[in-house]
Amino acid sequence: MSDKNPKESLIGTDISGCEILQKVAEGGMGAVYKARHKALNRIVCVKILSPALANDKKAVELFLSEARAVAELDHPNIVNVYNVGKERGYYFIVMSFIEGQTLSIMLKRRKVLPVNLVLDLFDGILKGLNVAHEKGIIHRDIKPSNILINSEMHPKIVDFGIAKKVDKDKGTTKTTELAGTAYFIAPEQALGRDLDTRADLYSIGASMYYVLTGQFPYNGKNTIDIIQKHINDPVPDPSKIRKDLPPWLAQAIQKLMSKDPDKRFQTAKETYLFFQKMRAEDQLRLKSGASGSVIDLETDSSLKIIKESPVTNTESIKKKRHEALLKDTAKSFNQSKPVLLPGLNESPAAPVRSEAPKRQTPPPPPPIPGNYPSQNAAINAEVSPLGDTPKEPFRWRNLIDFAWLPVLMLFSLLVSYTFFLFGKICSVHVSPNLGFIANLVSPLTASQNAPYQLPVAGVCLIMLAAVFASSSIRAFARSTMGLLVIAFISYMAGLFTPQVPYWDIKGIGQFIFSPEYSLCYFVIAGMWALSLCWRTTLTKAEAFLGTALVVLTVVLAYTATGLSIAPYTEGAFIKWLAFLGLLFTLCTVYYLTTQKGVHSSIVAPTLCLLAAVACVWTYNISGLANTMNTTLKVLASKINAGEVSHPSTQIDKEDDVGYVSVFQSDAFSHLNTFKRINLLSPEEKYKYLDKQITIFTKDAIPQSYRPLMIEMLSAYYLSGPSRMTLLAWDYALGYPIQNFNQNAQNNNAYYFLLTLLYWFGILGCAANIVFREDA
Amino acid sequence: MSTFDIEFAAVTDIGKIREKNEDSVLISSELGLGVVADGMGGHSAGEIASNIAVHVLEETIRKVNAGSLKMPDTFLPKLDKIERKLLMAANLANAAIYTTAQASAIYKMMGTTLTGVTFDGDNAVAVHVGDSRIYLYRDKKLVQVTTDHSLAMEHVRRGLLTKAEADKSKIQNVLTRAMGIKKNVEFDLLKFPVKIGDIMVLCSDGLYKGLTEKQMQELLEKGQNTPLVKLCKQLVRVSNDNDGQDNISTVMIKILPAQPLTLRQKIKRFFSKS
Repeated sequence: MSDKNPKESLIGTDISGCEILQKVAEGGMGAVYKARHKALNRIVCVKILSPALANDKKAVELFLSEARAVAELDHPNIVNVYNVGKERGYYFIVMSFIEGQTLSIMLKRRKVLPVNLVLDLFDGILKGLNVAHEKGIIHRDIKPSNILINSEMHPKIVDFGIAKKVDKDKGTTKTTELAGTAYFIAPEQALGRDLDTRADLYSIGASMYYVLTGQFPYNGKNTIDIIQKHINDPVPDPSKIRKDLPPWLAQAIQKLMSKDPDKRFQTAKETYLFFQKMRAEDQLRLKSGASGSVIDLETDSSLKIIKESPVTNTESIKKKRHEALLKDTAKSFNQSKPVLLPGLNESPAAPVRSEAPKRQTPPPPPPIPGNYPSQNAAINAEVSPLGDTPKEPFRWRNLIDFAWLPVLMLFSLLVSYTFFLFGKICSVHVSPNLGFIANLVSPLTASQNAPYQLPVAGVCLIMLAAVFASSSIRAFARSTMGLLVIAFISYMAGLFTPQVPYWDIKGIGQFIFSPEYSLCYFVIAGMWALSLCWRTTLTKAEAFLGTALVVLTVVLAYTATGLSIAPYTEGAFIKWLAFLGLLFTLCTVYYLTTQKGVHSSIVAPTLCLLAAVACVWTYNISGLANTMNTTLKVLASKINAGEVSHPSTQIDKEDDVGYVSVFQSDAFSHLNTFKRINLLSPEEKYKYLDKQITIFTKDAIPQSYRPLMIEMLSAYYLSGPSRMTLLAWDYALGYPIQNFNQNAQNNNAYYFLLTLLYWFGILGCAANIVFREDA
Repeated sequence: MSTFDIEFAAVTDIGKIREKNEDSVLISSELGLGVVADGMGGHSAGEIASNIAVHVLEETIRKVNAGSLKMPDTFLPKLDKIERKLLMAANLANAAIYTTAQASAIYKMMGTTLTGVTFDGDNAVAVHVGDSRIYLYRDKKLVQVTTDHSLAMEHVRRGLLTKAEADKSKIQNVLTRAMGIKKNVEFDLLKFPVKIGDIMVLCSDGLYKGLTEKQMQELLEKGQNTPLVKLCKQLVRVSNDNDGQDNISTVMIKILPAQPLTLRQKIKRFFSKS
């Protein structure tokens, strides 16, 4: 045998005329592959013994015995075996491939299975099992995941792999795996006693319990716990969880799960005959409607989770035993001489259990003569978790947090005012000819500072630091983003609306439904959506709210930027921007609604939302940008900028007309040219270009746009066409806001926005305190 | 400083029907350490697992003693130094086996039991996982000190089976804890005082399957004056004759009265670190 990893080496190879296609499952004994039988051209299932076990005679024998056992059984409810043998050093079994799902997967997908369907399935399973039992074969591992259901809802039992294991081994091979699965194991199997076919019937009962109720009959901390509950705990009643079970079925399941094999149904045949009889009776009763309590088998009431009754289950027994043990050990501490306790078999000697990296072992108490010092401590440590956890006290801290709210209100007012002031001081730098972004950064790039600009900028920086620092206060933690937006909007309000005094809220009411205000709503909705995007876990309601807000944000972004000029849809890129925006919106919604996405990254939905808004925004203003660009380009090509190859040529500043005639012929020579227009002083340049625009466009461009056009044209002459295009796009991108700014000077839209944000922030903060997650 | 001398002996035997010996034993009088490990897993994985277990354990203790490996202060700081040392060594051994097992398909299912004893002053400190055992023979009585981590013993602990039933049970070989199966394993750590005259028997399950406690006790009683190695061999031989289905291994440790030190030893001890 080689060290080859079967995962890598087997796929694509040929075993017994079957081409291995893909791995379906892997277990301790080996792996199961989907394969194509070349001669028959049909999909089969090939089970291959793990190469680790290929030299182990017992394992090989066991593996082959499975094939022989199943080959003996020819029944529609048991998987068929076609071939078995050894090839290329691999032991293999070729079986029929069942297109379908296991019963456990079916249950997981559908959550609740109708009673009638379950009974139909188990009718087939029991028939198949009966045939195996008649041949003396015990399956030993009946469980929902060992039952395959094909597309016609026909069940097949698979994996007779451990069918003979325990007998042949006679307990000589050491293992950490028990034959059988803890959740469905029969008590006699769990105890290692001799088995007969009735053990499978117990597992059938446990499986039916699970399939019908969606819960395992016994749950526990670990496998041993579960196994011991199968041995010890009273049989649970499935009808306590699922109310619509017919009483006879609940009783039958409990009968199948009897601890004593003699009290179960004795054969699979007896079981399915009983089921058939009772179902027939039910049908009869349903038809005749005679019985007072007719059970509607078709409807599925929702499942209820019941708590384990603490009567005599293993937990409580264990507790009692611990208490008894404690008493015992306490007594034995007084004995001085004997080193070994008489009851040592029962109580392990000093099990200072140390699960090294995870848990710290309690410190051993000072040695007491004649005994193992750490015994007491170990037992104490095990008993204490069984006690009830104390009830959580009323959360006073939340109330205390509310005391922070006024502080936050004052703080946000202060932040808002400082930035407003800074904006006002900087408003001297604002030029109507600049784009939005250029205007925002104008205070930084200005050659001369306004009076008090620097000190107030310093105060603003301190304020920003305070905003970030405030995020360490629990009640404020999530308001940081809100405070930042408030600061930003306040700055803009100061910058763009110098003539309106601060906090003049007159006349807000009459404008709130005007189109410009959709920008305000856009900011609010966007902020809210973003804040939801930043949540690590969302409830369903929150996810729904988030979805609604995302859609609203994108729609508002569309309406807020809706211009009279239609988008420039001829450009290939612009045409797709709208679809891209839609796609990003869907992505955001996807991230918000699937918890997984939100968990893995809070950045992804945020970026998607921002991208969606950016796409929609750009799409809407593309018309304006394009119109400006084309107009400017035409103008630029027509106007004579005085390009000459020799910079020494003098311009006759007095005679404008003459200089046009002189330089017209050189208009398109670009190499080594020199634009004489750049030599003019700004005022002269403005005058000249204004005149030219009037010549070429007559009065098509209104006077109010002249300065802007001239600004861009001079940029064209100074730095080339790309600079002009950039400026035009910047202007267009900022146009909705500039529009808003202009309107805001008349109708206080900024203050409306600020008020909204302010209350939004306060409400968010209060909600944050009330619905805190760390409770 | 121990007030007694300790004698070690170890024997391992393949048994009658097995093709391989998957047990590993190790004794070191220098470290005062005796270890038995019983490997499992097809192919030759069992041998490898048990081998790694004993050697990593020994090497770690040696390194910690020599100071070339430092125990992190955060590692179970409430325990004694010797307990921490032993546990850390066992944990490292587990990690080594687990990593080896995960690295190859052939070794995937391998694991091992581990039972080791070392001494600190008048106390014996033992680390234990799996179904190997430590018996303590004192005052003509033999008592099992460790608890098997097998499903059968779990049942016994909860009163679902009697000890006698468990000894014959088919699920005796189903271990609930072993090294190399999981990344972290819970070890039992035992500490108990020893006396002069005590004999400790560390053994794999092969030994006690062929030898009842009563038989073992009788053999030890009779062999009070036979050399320890001989006694060791005798136990294994009797067990093999009775059963022999599995590998049989045992480590025996006898506590002897301290011999007066020679001058050379005295000088050596004077200059040694502890």
